[in-house]
Amino acid sequence: MFSLIAGLIRYLFSKTEINVLILGLDYAGKTTLLEQMKGIFKKVQGIPPSKIPPTVGLNVGKMDVGGCKLTFWDLGGQVRVRSLWEKYYADAHGLIFVMDSADVGRFEEARMAFDTVKEQGELHGVPLMMLANKQDLPEAISTADISVQFDMHKITKVAFRLQPCSGLTCDGVAEGIHWIVDEAKKRARPRVDA
Amino acid sequence: MGIVLSRVFQALFGSKEVRILILGLDNAGKTTILYRLQNEADDNIQTIPTIGFNVETLQYKNIKFQVWDLGGQTSIRPYWRCYYPNTDAIVFVVDSSDRERMAIAKQELMAMLEEEELKDAILLVFANKQDQPGSLTSTEVSEALGLPDIRNRQWSIQEASALKGKGLFEGFDWLVTCIKGGEA
Ligand SMILES: Nc1nc2c(ncn2[C@@H]2O[C@H](COP(=O)(O)OP(=O)(O)OP(=O)(O)O)[C@@H](O)[C@H]2O)c(=O)[nH]1
Ligand SMILES: [Mg+2]
Repeated sequence: MFSLIAGLIRYLFSKTEINVLILGLDYAGKTTLLEQMKGIFKKVQGIPPSKIPPTVGLNVGKMDVGGCKLTFWDLGGQVRVRSLWEKYYADAHGLIFVMDSADVGRFEEARMAFDTVKEQGELHGVPLMMLANKQDLPEAISTADISVQFDMHKITKVAFRLQPCSGLTCDGVAEGIHWIVDEAKKRARPRVDA
Repeated sequence: MGIVLSRVFQALFGSKEVRILILGLDNAGKTTILYRLQNEADDNIQTIPTIGFNVETLQYKNIKFQVWDLGGQTSIRPYWRCYYPNTDAIVFVVDSSDRERMAIAKQELMAMLEEEELKDAILLVFANKQDQPGSLTSTEVSEALGLPDIRNRQWSIQEASALKGKGLFEGFDWLVTCIKGGEA
């Protein structure tokens, strides 16, 4: 009886655990954003933007947001390491696709990568957010134009958001993360450790 | 390669002890890497002789490197545990041309990663011996070692040839950046 009640209490107070996968082309700014999130949500200084090396593996960020325990998985975007992406689909409760809004030359490549990811069956029902990063740059394309170029009106996802942001100034980052956490929370179940 | 390697580690100099474990099967190239570090570093370096159970130690200011062979010798394993606490990083060295022993390497690595006291250590894998014909690429090595199954640990893989001094700088640079994090 006691263990039952203890279990119930644990259940009621356990925090929802949410895994968020961060994908996108190399140089889009994924790791920069992850390190900035540590500053925003954990109040610990992340690696400064000027020091961040390209990712060839996995970066993990754990933090509490909106009453949830979040685990971010940031993978590398270079072509040779993109084969890792699919290994994480099945465990993701939220997906963030980061793009460099100022690099028009790679929009087509970004669009193709984005299309592949958003059509994954394993990610069906998983909230998806496109972070239109580097909005601080004067040559950055607006989200209105990006939305057209990426055919966003065709997205059938239940939960989709296009969020402008900057990994340097942090504008738009917290707003976007709160959105994806709220959406993921509606779908994820609290995990109860026995 | 010059003195670049020691310059990489400079970012970690300070009062806080930094512990780095360099592991791998025998013949993977660990000692060559250690030797490279030794050559690179200045007079501040100090090697502590092997103590009983095959552990090589290199102290470089406040940074301590410990090297040992995985595989075989299960009887001495309990002694290793005293080295685990406060480990910042694991450097796993693998011979990319030794396809036959890849499965054993994986098994040994995974066993280390399950150690409770190593759960906060970040992982750098050197896909070593890239100078050898027929060596696996870093992508193939990461598959063979099961790295894509890792969910709770920061990791990176770097192709290297310790013999030629290739890739070591890049790998250790990543390691140092991650250990240092946001500390100014
Ligand atoms: N101006 C500007 N630069 C940024 C922004 N975000 C990131 N950068 C820069 O973009 C470059 C790439 O950033 P990373 O965070 O390494 O990119 P990534 O997406 O993690 O790249 P991979 O790990 O290779 O996939 C770095 O030089 C960053 O400083 C931003 O919002 N504005
Ligand atoms: Mg990155």
